[in-house]
Amino acid sequence: MCSACGFPAAPGHWTEAGAANAHERLRGRYRRAQVLQRVLPSYNLSVSETNDIPGIQLSTLTGSQSIVSHLDEVWALAEKVNGTPVDPLDRRFIGEE
Amino acid sequence: MSDTDGRIRLIILGGYLGSGKTTWLRHQLHEGNFQGALVIVNEAAETPIDDALLGGSERLAVLAGGCVCCAAKQDLIDLLRRISDDRSRAVSTVSPLDLIILETSGLADPGAIVEAIRSDPVLVYHIVVSEVIVAVDGLHGMSQLRSEPLSRYQIEVADQLIVTKMDAVDQAELELLLATLQAMSPGAMISGAVKGMPHQLPEFSQTKAESLKDLLAEDVKAPILPTRLHLDDSIDWTAFTVWLSALLYARGDDIVRVKGVIRTPAGRLLLQTVRKIVQSPEILPEQGDTREDNIVVMIGRGFTHSQLTKSLRHFVGRQGD
Repeated sequence: MCSACGFPAAPGHWTEAGAANAHERLRGRYRRAQVLQRVLPSYNLSVSETNDIPGIQLSTLTGSQSIVSHLDEVWALAEKVNGTPVDPLDRRFIGEE
Repeated sequence: MSDTDGRIRLIILGGYLGSGKTTWLRHQLHEGNFQGALVIVNEAAETPIDDALLGGSERLAVLAGGCVCCAAKQDLIDLLRRISDDRSRAVSTVSPLDLIILETSGLADPGAIVEAIRSDPVLVYHIVVSEVIVAVDGLHGMSQLRSEPLSRYQIEVADQLIVTKMDAVDQAELELLLATLQAMSPGAMISGAVKGMPHQLPEFSQTKAESLKDLLAEDVKAPILPTRLHLDDSIDWTAFTVWLSALLYARGDDIVRVKGVIRTPAGRLLLQTVRKIVQSPEILPEQGDTREDNIVVMIGRGFTHSQLTKSLRHFVGRQGD
């Protein structure tokens, strides 16, 4: 947004905009890993958060590891591994309608 | 005033969902253009967001909960009649209202609004539509023209076309869009903008316009509709963004627009997306109307409210999981 007529934009990747300080950012990282771990195993990926590297650590069922920098790259990797994107409206998440 | 014979001039600002209407208008108001104008903002969803951004206007009215070219047409007519009536009754005011800017919802056909005003037996004596300005998304405009009949109607009725987000699109695509716009609406003046500020157009006279295929009934997808999603206290920003980023990655072409103000530890964040693109959230001041906080409007097709809530609930998990 224009800095003259708009409000300030939160820095960083948009998904990280909800944290105002280092403490909340750290909590956000663990929470993100927790949420991802609810979703990714059914797409043959798992996530680990050890807070010793920047980025998100993912591993496939065969053990190959990747580090990506934000969530969009997580979804891109999941699509590459499975041939289909992680769809939050898939039956496995919403059950039979 | 001679050109409008005492009637109020009405400028219609239209354009597809997320094309940059509010951004453009906000910058115009910041620059001091449209002095004294009444700004009417229409949003198809019941949750107005854009009015929070247009604080720079002196007079602002919001029509939320339906698009004024169809479902809420009568609301617009009633509002304009009231405005006309008030103005006629005022014997002498310091600054009589002589300009209204109507920012339509992204789902509106400006042609239908012009028609409604011109055919109203009262309004025709009070209001004259002086200009239809249409914002065209520089980044997504071409794909919208290929698939959405509505985006074509919007361009065909424009007097002025403003191609937005010019800094985000590659040169060849931009030239194709410009040439196509000119072919579709030869009388319209075309200009460019980046974040509301004027931007030089590239030379495109040598570029051939794309001849758009007629859209047959079977090509036209399901209608685009707004859905309101209430984020209660159990839904935290992190879980919500993991969910939304996955949803946009998988279905960004069908989730045309997401808008909402969300409370986070970092403050009130204004979240806006256009297809797969998410704008850096703006940090809004604590003041102002906060009643609509934590309500997110999702505009698109191919999903229901219940599917969205179930899916989000799954991502968030229960407390203590």
